Amino acid sequence: MALVYNSTSAFYERSKLDIRSLRSRAEGLQQQVGSGQRLTSSSDDPVAASRLRTLARADRMEKVDTTNANRAAADLTLADAALSSFADFLTRARELAIKAGNDTLTDDQRAAIGYELEQIHGNLVQIANSRDSAGHALFGGETTGDAYTLDSSGNAVYGGTGSSGELSLGDGQTVTRGLTGPQFLEFDIDGTPTDIMATIKGLATALQGTASDPAQAARDALGALNAGIDAVTTGQTLVGTRLAWIDLTTERRANLSELQNTEKADIGGTDIASTVAELQELMVILEASQASFGRLAGLSLFNQLR
Amino acid sequence: MASDLISIARSGVQTARIALDVTAQNIANASTEGYVRRSVQLGEVALAGTRDRVSDMSFSGVRLSAVVRNADAFRQSEVRRTGSDASRAAAELTGLENIETAVEQTGVHQSIVNFEASLEQLAANPIDPSLRAAVVEDARTMARTFNIAATSLDSVGQGLRFEAADGAAQVDLLAKELARVNTSLTRARDGGSDKTVLLDKRDNLLQQLSEYVDVTTTIGGDGQVEVRIGGPTGPQLVSTGTAYGFAMTTATDGTIGFTLDGDPVTPLSGSLAGQAQALTKLADVRARLDTIAASVITTVNAAQANGVALDGTAGQPMFTGTGAGNIAIAFGDGKLIATAPAGAGANSRDPANLDALRTAFTNADATGWMDALLFDVSSSVAGRKITLEALDSIASTARIALSAQAGVDLDQEAVNLVRFQQAFQASGRVMQVASDLFDTLIGIR
Repeated sequence: MALVYNSTSAFYERSKLDIRSLRSRAEGLQQQVGSGQRLTSSSDDPVAASRLRTLARADRMEKVDTTNANRAAADLTLADAALSSFADFLTRARELAIKAGNDTLTDDQRAAIGYELEQIHGNLVQIANSRDSAGHALFGGETTGDAYTLDSSGNAVYGGTGSSGELSLGDGQTVTRGLTGPQFLEFDIDGTPTDIMATIKGLATALQGTASDPAQAARDALGALNAGIDAVTTGQTLVGTRLAWIDLTTERRANLSELQNTEKADIGGTDIASTVAELQELMVILEASQASFGRLAGLSLFNQLR
Repeated sequence: MASDLISIARSGVQTARIALDVTAQNIANASTEGYVRRSVQLGEVALAGTRDRVSDMSFSGVRLSAVVRNADAFRQSEVRRTGSDASRAAAELTGLENIETAVEQTGVHQSIVNFEASLEQLAANPIDPSLRAAVVEDARTMARTFNIAATSLDSVGQGLRFEAADGAAQVDLLAKELARVNTSLTRARDGGSDKTVLLDKRDNLLQQLSEYVDVTTTIGGDGQVEVRIGGPTGPQLVSTGTAYGFAMTTATDGTIGFTLDGDPVTPLSGSLAGQAQALTKLADVRARLDTIAASVITTVNAAQANGVALDGTAGQPMFTGTGAGNIAIAFGDGKLIATAPAGAGANSRDPANLDALRTAFTNADATGWMDALLFDVSSSVAGRKITLEALDSIASTARIALSAQAGVDLDQEAVNLVRFQQAFQASGRVMQVASDLFDTLIGIR
């Protein structure tokens, strides 16, 4: 008996195993290149796969946050525009009040000014009832109806809720998505609660003849009008700050998202260059082992014995 | 003397023929599974001198003393042991991979995230009908993916149990076959070709048996084998001509056990052990999936009960069911989502209850638990893959070692062919010489 006995079937078995393992590794690499994904199932790398799931969840939530942020920004921009109009109308009302406070004016001229102030009041009510991007009252808090309604005597009455809702911007950050009417239309002057719309409405009727001294009434209203302009400007500053806050969080989210995408690509993506190089190396080895298998399998004593 | 020469040559020719037959048989079975290379063992036929005739020579030629099976019992048992380990690991891995596919590919995690995201989106405008409809549809998708995952897990379990039942039946069959071979072995002549065939068959059966269960063998002097399951101290499966009945039992949670002759037995390796392990894991995963689904159901329904729907009526439960298998959405109308707190009127934009629902849902952390479950399953699969690779390479090394020793080397057989052909021709030449001698003696005048 030979000292080293090597059976034919053992030779074939060994060659088969070697070539099969090379082939399956090559196929695995090919799949990675083809799909661009390093992981075909979680078990390829459980830790990375779990991280990828967390990132995918963050990604999904960020999309919603972005939509919400855009919505809040749109609402606040609308509020800003409306506040500008408020400021314009209040400035005009102040001009008119100064003019009406002049004792040289006739009652008819004051009545005309009063009529214009009445129109301004109407415009103010309409602006206060403007709608946000979803069709709800812009200055009505969380009400589903109008922010202001007119009572039987033509006075604007606030019908909204006490505060506007907060919208999530992701990562626990929120933004108040608007202002309610009373937040900038009602304020205290020296401890006296004042409603600017009521003031204008009152002045309008006073100038049209209900007051005994309309010029004095106009001069009295000046303080409230000045405070009203201040309140509206403060409101605009508030809106501007909130818009800036949204910009900030949006920028932060964009940076975060970029980081996450980089991480995603690092963890789950295929490094094409190294994978292709590895594949090439495997192919060379595979070809060499196939060729050497062919040569060895052809070596049979039966071919030599005639 | 001359007639002796002819009979010596005749025995030489006969044994050369037998040796050539054996060589031919080896070549023919070079790739037969479980075939062990035979070789001939020849013995001289000669009488020692008897009393008074001590120096007499009495040669009677050669005889075939045995056909030897070149099988190494140790290597064979190594092949069985390592093969059994590898097939246990392979069966367990296959089961676990199926579990992974069932839980991961159905996208349960993704569907929970989507539901969470649509709730967050609804917060932007709680009375928007399209956002409400989106929540309902995402809830429906989530419930259905839970259902699909549960059904997939159940069918993975069915598949595993089917395979295990088939394996148990095979073990029973193989054990009976082994008992029959044992009986035949008692009647077989030592060294004869029928005995070598029986021994081949015995080893082949043991090899097949080791795919399903671990086998501990004790081989008797006459080649009969005693087989035990569950280690060297385990119960007997086959003893001489008796095979004890092997069967599978199924528990209510879908896990399986085995009995041998009516008593419970735990195979240490083999595919049956692997399938039993995979089924235990499956029962665990299924229970955890049920827990996650149940937590989603109770969290959402509890929050719903605290609020009012868009029409101002009290919130209804959103989900019915108790687990992943039967979770279903209770209503298809988005208006019934209770976003507003109790006491709010119809068409309220107050999102207080929706916020409470979202907070409760985040705190219940269904996505986190689902992620943990997926991580558990996938890391089990990853770990088992490495184990299987190691066990597989050990098993193939053992198999190659055995087949290197016991298999047929065609080059060697080619040499034997030439050698025995020459032996045959030489013995024929001896006959020729004997005939010539006889002619010479006859020709003396």
